[in-house]
Amino acid sequence: VTQDAFPDFLDDYFAECDEHLTRVRRLLLALEASVGRLEINRAVLDELFRHFHSLKGISGMVELRQAEDLAHRLEDYLRVLRAGDAILSADGMDALFDGTQLLEQVIAVRRTGGTFPAVESVGERIGRLVNAAAPAAASDSRLAPAVPRSFANVARWRCTFTPAAALVARGIRVDTVRGRLAAAGEILDAVPRVTGDGSIAFDFVLAAPLDEATIAAWRADGITAERLADDVASTPAVQPVDPVDDDVTLSGTTALSHFVRVDLARLDDLMRNVGDLVISRARLADTLSRLEARIPAADWRAIQENAVAIDRQLRTLREGIMRVRLVPVGEIFRRMPFVVRDLARETGKRVRLELQGQSTEIDKFLIERMMDPVLHLVRNAVSHGIETADERVAAGKRPEGTIVLCAATAGDIVRIDIADDGRGVDPEAVIARARAVGLAVPAGTPDAAALLALLCAPGFSTRDESDRASGRGVGMSVVQAAVEELSGRLRLETERGTGTRFVLELPVTLAITDALIAKVGSETFAVPQGSVREVIDVAVADLIQVERNEMTPYRGAALPVLRLSRLLGLPDTSRPRLHLFVVGTGPAAIGIAVDRIAGQREIVVRAIADALVRVDGISGATDLGDGHVVLILDPAALARQMRERPDRAMTAAQGANA
Amino acid sequence: MTAAGSTEGIGSYILFTVAGTTYALPSGEVRHMEMIENITRVPNAPAFIDGVVFSRGQVVPVVNLRARFGFERAAFDLRTRLIVVQSAGRLVGLLTDAAREFVSIPPDAIQPPNDALTGMSGRYIEGIASIKDRLILVLSLERILNFDEALTVGLADRV
Repeated sequence: VTQDAFPDFLDDYFAECDEHLTRVRRLLLALEASVGRLEINRAVLDELFRHFHSLKGISGMVELRQAEDLAHRLEDYLRVLRAGDAILSADGMDALFDGTQLLEQVIAVRRTGGTFPAVESVGERIGRLVNAAAPAAASDSRLAPAVPRSFANVARWRCTFTPAAALVARGIRVDTVRGRLAAAGEILDAVPRVTGDGSIAFDFVLAAPLDEATIAAWRADGITAERLADDVASTPAVQPVDPVDDDVTLSGTTALSHFVRVDLARLDDLMRNVGDLVISRARLADTLSRLEARIPAADWRAIQENAVAIDRQLRTLREGIMRVRLVPVGEIFRRMPFVVRDLARETGKRVRLELQGQSTEIDKFLIERMMDPVLHLVRNAVSHGIETADERVAAGKRPEGTIVLCAATAGDIVRIDIADDGRGVDPEAVIARARAVGLAVPAGTPDAAALLALLCAPGFSTRDESDRASGRGVGMSVVQAAVEELSGRLRLETERGTGTRFVLELPVTLAITDALIAKVGSETFAVPQGSVREVIDVAVADLIQVERNEMTPYRGAALPVLRLSRLLGLPDTSRPRLHLFVVGTGPAAIGIAVDRIAGQREIVVRAIADALVRVDGISGATDLGDGHVVLILDPAALARQMRERPDRAMTAAQGANA
Repeated sequence: MTAAGSTEGIGSYILFTVAGTTYALPSGEVRHMEMIENITRVPNAPAFIDGVVFSRGQVVPVVNLRARFGFERAAFDLRTRLIVVQSAGRLVGLLTDAAREFVSIPPDAIQPPNDALTGMSGRYIEGIASIKDRLILVLSLERILNFDEALTVGLADRV
């Protein structure tokens, strides 16, 4: 492998690991039903075996020894189970889960950097399970390795594909090859290897009825196919898979062949191109409107018709690309059964997890950022929401608690519900806790919104300490911050004794949005329109000075005012009146003061990627047509800064850092 | 950029001036150069950052090398150039007084920096080359773009 090719190859490795591990997780859950039973689900076992086998192979190729070793151990244990030398015990199941989790961690560390976890103890644990089963191996031939069944009459082929620049130029890559093979038959095994001259080749074992014409066509595209002898069944890695229960077969290898894996960066490039088009279109419209008076009416109508058509087509194109970025929310959900299972076991509770609306689609960008908050809420539901079986029975409920995780779209909004039928939030306990940590508690019985505000206050977190100690917790304040940063909303519904429901509402996509354009002195800013509740006009003379803060009366309460000019170190306006963008709700609301509102625009959001200029309070940048950068404010972050340190939002932050 | 032509690769450098001194960066690290038009200030960015600009559709921070090296900022003129560099996956613009030459510097013409070189830029120097009576300071991009260090410098300046 040459130096240059290696990073690309690593990306492929991680992507492939993701696919295997995703599958492994579901298979393990399916395998759990076989614990302690003589009849084990062979199909599940076989497929698991193949995934670990592949993981071992590809990990070896990137020289990730820890992963190779773990996968090898897991494969060993599965081999013992396949041979019928041992019955799958609860210990064994735990070892499989723990081993898989560790394997995931090792691969994640290779990807993002950090310290590798120790793999020895889990490795040895699995080793002991294997050894314990060994003596029985010789004597017991009851369950001999299965003879391939469903593909017993189909010819098997070893197909080899060696990627080359010339082939890539024709669009032939390993993904496309995999798709073609899968379309022809069943891929029984796929292992990349490094060839003698240092390049990479992919070996597939394929069960398919191939004719000469197909083989010739493949050869032209760099795929060789070689008929295998019929006794390959002795190689464990090529054993075919029986149809498994619906849940497990859904996303099998054949289903995958219809999908193309696309690097998100390439989609971002496309999106940028469309963004450029949107900007050019705006520029053209500006120019045209200046010319209107000089153009004969009939010509003007023709131009207008074209302009409208371009608008429509551009919008279609934009929506099309956005749809490509959408992935099923099931990606978040898939890990949850794992988490619930682990935590239920830890806390000794009985919990059933129900998943709904997994095919609901949401932007890839959002998925990545929603993973931790949803994880936290699900974890909360198990540890704080659901009662123990005894408590539940005493309360007249079924001993098993239910958590429902549900996703649905309504227009441009994705709604994710995390609901449990547990004990509900106890307002008295929340108030007591809030007082104990020195939070201001409103008088009277708090409603759900007030409860949520307390739960999300920084410094709250009733039992999160243990979560944090084990290095996996984020407090409710972090959940709320994550949701707000995505221009989303978090809501709470709860009833004592009946249950709790958290509702996350998020925009489906983020890349293009409507914004209000504001001027402060000579500077221009964009404010996402969705976050502005109202624009109000106030006289500077009417502002009330409270220590170092300015306030204005607003709907019977005092609204803190954030002057953008001060944030930028510009002189305050000399105008007698200010415009205030009211953002946030309830006690979290603030008014952002600007000199002038220049209009409302559809803007293309560009990321600010470099750490040198990434600032809390600015969510991105946009171009209004003149090529200059206009910063996009993040009202939620600004409101949060005001709330946390009212006298030093953003401007003073630098001094605090230094 | 085509001026680099055949000399592109090891030993090819782009020369630029900041406050009267000539500096060099390996041309392999340079994406392109631009005239500077309009920089948008970013509140709360480090002191040596002038702001951000769009460069081929991406938001690029502008590092003012005069400020970074401890000199007074100067007004932009027709010679002012933004050198957009790529380093460790980052895209950053370096604001220089002028930049227009490509030279080939053989590795053995670069000496390690002299301890007596105590200017602000000293900490960002990888070596010193002397070519035709000219002294050229070869910069380390990595050190210029190191943000953690930037904060410490800011702290020291403040005290």
